[in-house]
Amino acid sequence: MATITHPTFGQKLSAMLAETRLRLLNISRYPGQLVLEIIIPVVFASMPMLLGRATAGADAGANFAANTGTANYVAFLLIGSNVFTLVSNAFWHIAYWLRFEQETGTLEAIYLTPTSSLNLAAGVAVYSAIRGLTAAILSYIIGCLVFQVNPLQGDVLLALAFIFVGLIPLYGVAFLFGALVLKVKESNALVSLMQWVVSFLMGIFFPITVLPPFIRFVALLFPPTWITNGVRSSLLGVGFFFGQWYFDMAVLWAFLLFAPLFSFWVFNRVERNVKANEGVGEF
Amino acid sequence: MQGQVRIENLTKTYHTRQRKGLFKSEEKLVEALKGVSLEIKPGEIFGLLGPNGAGKTTLIKCLTTLLLPTSGEAWINGYHLTRDDNQIRATVGCMLMGERGLYWKLTGRENMTFFGALYHLNPAARRRRADEIIERLHLGDIADRAVETYSSGQKMKLAFAKALINDAPLLILDEPTNTLDLPSARELRAVVHELNQEGKTVIYTTHIMAEAETMCDRVAIIDRGEVLALGNVPELKASLNREAVIRIEGVISAKASQAVQALPGVSQAATTPVNGHVQLTVMAQDHQALLPRLIETLTAYNAVMQKITPEEVTLEDVFIARTGRTLADDTRVK
Repeated sequence: MATITHPTFGQKLSAMLAETRLRLLNISRYPGQLVLEIIIPVVFASMPMLLGRATAGADAGANFAANTGTANYVAFLLIGSNVFTLVSNAFWHIAYWLRFEQETGTLEAIYLTPTSSLNLAAGVAVYSAIRGLTAAILSYIIGCLVFQVNPLQGDVLLALAFIFVGLIPLYGVAFLFGALVLKVKESNALVSLMQWVVSFLMGIFFPITVLPPFIRFVALLFPPTWITNGVRSSLLGVGFFFGQWYFDMAVLWAFLLFAPLFSFWVFNRVERNVKANEGVGEF
Repeated sequence: MQGQVRIENLTKTYHTRQRKGLFKSEEKLVEALKGVSLEIKPGEIFGLLGPNGAGKTTLIKCLTTLLLPTSGEAWINGYHLTRDDNQIRATVGCMLMGERGLYWKLTGRENMTFFGALYHLNPAARRRRADEIIERLHLGDIADRAVETYSSGQKMKLAFAKALINDAPLLILDEPTNTLDLPSARELRAVVHELNQEGKTVIYTTHIMAEAETMCDRVAIIDRGEVLALGNVPELKASLNREAVIRIEGVISAKASQAVQALPGVSQAATTPVNGHVQLTVMAQDHQALLPRLIETLTAYNAVMQKITPEEVTLEDVFIARTGRTLADDTRVK
């Protein structure tokens, strides 16, 4: 058997999918965690929902519609909490992947192979997207059934398009974050901080139009804000930021073209810097 | 380029932080490799011998592209260390970090096929190769069990199996018999010999001198980032041919050892802990003349001597002669 020094695109793709398969195999051995991932967004969204009912009573829907453009606050909040699950998964899976492998010693083992770190990260991102999307969709449907709203209202295909296009820049940002974890070797505090900042800015439980102008501007620099609003506008008609869906989609495409390339550039520089000093396996 | 591995003046320095209290730390520059040059010929088993912290693993990490050297150059399997890093990784099979490089929730077979994919083998080839290695290393009974259920020795064996998955012409094995029981260590060494007979070049690091003596065609003795001696085992031993070695086992204080070192005719004296006792290794030109003075000095320092044996020169003695320390000493930067 000859060693393969110049792999084809297909062989590189196969290596990437092997990483995805490895992650799926691994998580399949923790079924309880998967069940929790479906339940938590519903519980998460039900808290402000019940608070709204308690404070506004039968007028909750009307009051909500006056500020958001939809009276369906149940779906509004469920969409927010489920997109947050996707965002949170992206950060945790990419950042924790690097940190966990560093601690268990497998990061050096995979760095000994000719598969590039970009390829491996792409494999982890595919796994994370499969896991996050499955959980988010199931959780949204269960939440809608529990709170008796129709999950399939509005333009479902357009909502899915916003999610799929938005996932790539989202993982780009998460990969940037992974570079930081590789350098400072502190995933838990960094991810916790980041996910709560992003969750606030993307407006899980409120439209970002209620934020002060400067914070609203900062919020618009993050792809998750555009994904959340794109899905809400497609399904509930709350209104796109630029009036038409294709303008908002164009912004996500701009993120898609810029974020992964910039993140990869930063990651490569950090990786080289770490290799020039103590090495990727040091934790 | 002649050798399968050629290293020219390789250095590696890095910064480390030393904690000095709750919030204080101090940056320290560590010189892990200081101008290492050597050449490894195709088909040989080349030993890197040195105590913990000598720089063996740093050298291996540089050769496998896990670390970037600070200066110097190297060629591995004809590829340049920093320019052709992907090709180097593709043509080297490496066992580093032992059992820590495995996914414990997966089975042994799943681990092997996963790493096969990362070496770009197609699915059929990686399954076939995994089957071959499982059979060769007698891992059949445990191959389909989660690695977390393995014993430490079984994990080490699987880590060795993983290093073979890409069928590379060069194998780099870092302390491969660590945590293995004696029969398993013997079995692994036999497989390494077989692989070498089949044409693979092997770099074998160890801090166990007997292992280096039996395994390696040539040995480089490394200490504090420098190659102190390089050659085949008889050559290295012959470099001490005018010296005799006396080993004394018992209760021997550091002061007694220092007093022995100061005796006329003693070139080196170093202690190693052995089975709860201390073993003092003494090198001298004329051990017949030295012995009475040696016993007299140790008695004066209240040493309890249980065994005194003049012995053949070993690789450890070569190390002691060059450094004044034993291979059991830990020279890691604290």
